[in-house]
Amino acid sequence: MTMNYKKITWLCLIVAMIMAMTACAKGPSDSESASSAKNDKDITIAVNQNFTTLDPQNVSDTLSISATHAMYEGLVGFDKNMTIKPVLATDYKVSKDGLVYTFNLRKNVKFHDGATFDANAVKANFDRIQGSKGSLTASHYLKNLKDIKVIDDNTVQFTLTKPFSAMLNKFAMIPMISPKAIKKYGKNIGLHPVGTGPFEFVKWNQGESLILKKNPDYWDSNYPKVNKVTFKSVPENGSRVAMLKTGEADFVYPLPEQNVKSLKSSSDISIDQTESTIVRYVSINTNKKPFNNKKVRLAMNYALNKDTYIKVVKNGFGSKLDSTMSPKTQFYSKQGVYEYNLDKAKKLMKEAGYPNGFSAEIWGDTASDTMKGMQFVQQQLAKIGIKLKVKAMEQGTLSNEIYSPKTPDQAKVQLWYVSWSPSSGDADGATRSLFSSESFPPNGANTAYYKNNEVDSLIKKANKSTDPDEQAKIYKQIQKDIYSDAPWIFLGVDTILSGHRNNLKGVYVLPDGSINIKNAQLK
Amino acid sequence: MGKYVIKRIIGIIPLLVVVSFIVFLFIHLIPGDPARLIAGKEATVKEIQAIRHELHLDEPIFQQYLIYMDGLLHGDFGESIKSHIPVMHLIGERMLPSIELSLLSMGWALVFGILIGVLSAVFKNRWPDYGGMVTAVSGISLPNFWLGLVMIQLFSVQLGWLPTGGADSWKGYIMPSIALGAGIMAMIARFTRSSLVQTLKEDFIRTGRSRGLSSMTIVFGHALKSSLIPVVTVAGLQFGFLLGGSVVVETVFSFPGMGRLLIDSIQLRDYPVVQAELLLFSFEFILVNLVVDLLYGFLNPKISYET
Repeated sequence: MTMNYKKITWLCLIVAMIMAMTACAKGPSDSESASSAKNDKDITIAVNQNFTTLDPQNVSDTLSISATHAMYEGLVGFDKNMTIKPVLATDYKVSKDGLVYTFNLRKNVKFHDGATFDANAVKANFDRIQGSKGSLTASHYLKNLKDIKVIDDNTVQFTLTKPFSAMLNKFAMIPMISPKAIKKYGKNIGLHPVGTGPFEFVKWNQGESLILKKNPDYWDSNYPKVNKVTFKSVPENGSRVAMLKTGEADFVYPLPEQNVKSLKSSSDISIDQTESTIVRYVSINTNKKPFNNKKVRLAMNYALNKDTYIKVVKNGFGSKLDSTMSPKTQFYSKQGVYEYNLDKAKKLMKEAGYPNGFSAEIWGDTASDTMKGMQFVQQQLAKIGIKLKVKAMEQGTLSNEIYSPKTPDQAKVQLWYVSWSPSSGDADGATRSLFSSESFPPNGANTAYYKNNEVDSLIKKANKSTDPDEQAKIYKQIQKDIYSDAPWIFLGVDTILSGHRNNLKGVYVLPDGSINIKNAQLK
Repeated sequence: MGKYVIKRIIGIIPLLVVVSFIVFLFIHLIPGDPARLIAGKEATVKEIQAIRHELHLDEPIFQQYLIYMDGLLHGDFGESIKSHIPVMHLIGERMLPSIELSLLSMGWALVFGILIGVLSAVFKNRWPDYGGMVTAVSGISLPNFWLGLVMIQLFSVQLGWLPTGGADSWKGYIMPSIALGAGIMAMIARFTRSSLVQTLKEDFIRTGRSRGLSSMTIVFGHALKSSLIPVVTVAGLQFGFLLGGSVVVETVFSFPGMGRLLIDSIQLRDYPVVQAELLLFSFEFILVNLVVDLLYGFLNPKISYET
């Protein structure tokens, strides 16, 4: 076995070296990598998911909404605090009976393809949505719309079938597409966005990035202040943070909570916190024993330490939920917190006839922070003798379990660890689907099977009202009633974390989790 | 030979039909209603019914299969339930990066794997062997997401040589291909080593040596070729898996591949996208298998496909 293998060794080494060298040799010659070739007026935003569609009337995820809102605008829109302001309309009027909405449109506005924005363009958009027979997301917002009339070139009038107080918020969720583009691209409009917004579409690389450029003819000549915006989809938390550190990204959202500490010491990076409209809670099936007993529900609320919840489950970022909705939602009214009180909880359990507790199931999806949350609730409720079985289900299966029962008595759900954010920031969206008895699954998300006749009639009354002060009063009463009935274990309100390089200004995350880039500016 | 290839290719068609049926059945049988999932949590029963009708989901499942197959035969894979974007577009844009990444990972894994395997075999139980096998075992044991994150930390954050991810330049392919290929290289090295060690004990090698052939000619000219059959088998299988995309590596490196698309679509029960992807994976797998079979004939002339 003493052969001369020297040559073989040499050959192997040489091949390996050639391979390694070809890999490196190309390096300096075309080093147009993302970081070095970036122009002074270009910004990159790293986000955690893929865009699903760029059809602004068919988006449902907040990330795609962020992108469509950079290219498209509605008649009205939201400001930083989710209040309504006119955008493509200069002003609007609502009739006394709450049925007729009249919008005066902004003049001299052009779509990116040169088409003129006028009353007929608005009508073409609403015709498209209503003609979709429910397959476009935006059609959910127009359930109460009877017709739309073009009064003159710059005035449109909408008539509703019944008053709906949140209608303006719904209008804010319906951006205007160029009528020319609707005709040209038809169903594929999601791949070829053409709007009036500050940024124009350049390219969408599926699963990777979305590139936008400045709209030079934007109606507000003060904007935009950057030339090019690239959205990059970076699902891994560590990679997103790395991009912020290297400067490959100027803005990242969401910023993982566990990285806040290490980034705070960096002089190039700032961290922003936004209170969100996302509330976290456990819905309690009030139709089932023993949860039909209010004392049991109150005991569960008192038994849970919310401070620890925020510290342990939310890594210290968040606030205690002190109503049925977030402080950032329209007509929020503070109710107070069921402060942690174990003795009181035990006493309530005794009074309810369960001194030794009982067993139940808590459901949730398989996301790691949901699991963490469910385990926390399990551990807390064990202290008053409630033995919870944690059941995590993949989201499709979970949705099936929740929504397939046809009647409240068929429902198997007991406790559900979940979150809610109203899609258009309005009080109706944070109330009706969750607490109206019309919204029992499969008709809505009232998985507490909460039924309170007074709340039901107040919800209807609020929708009929056209006076914001009266609405505020009604929603205050609604929140009070529901809060004292405790159909949920009230947990927390999420804090949204984002990070940016210090040379970037003006990019921010709204309370609903969408990113606004209109004011983006580089120093 | 040509006849054999044609026969095999024609044989793929009925296989794909069967696959399409199984895929269709399974994806429709798992619980979860796409109409409910896309309509959102505020939707009412009436709205969901309208969507179900629009998507033909209210028809009997066999009817739905026929509608789907009818589209397929006309080259129409349908559109995503979620976004209304044509499935061909969704897959098309991700397919090329995925294939390129697979080829690159496989390419370097093959070259280095075989080199390490050869070195280990000819220096059996000496230091190059130990060195090679330590490399191989590490390659198999290191989780690829960990390797990925460590590389990002080192080459992107600390040294700034490579982008953290994306596929916009060839540089974006380097780290993901290393993370993906490491395990495969290790496997190939081990298979090459054990197979070559066996071959070097064969009579024809001893004969070669006694004829005074150089060690170079013996190892690369005679022994390696006939040792490669198990290596090709493993490599073929691994390549098939690679083409299916890797969720983990695509996630760490923000790479626009097929793996993440598949997971996202399954979560949303986006039937047309899932069906098209699984069909494509099956097709790729079958094709790779065919190539592997043909390579057998080339590596060992005793295996003949003439009938």
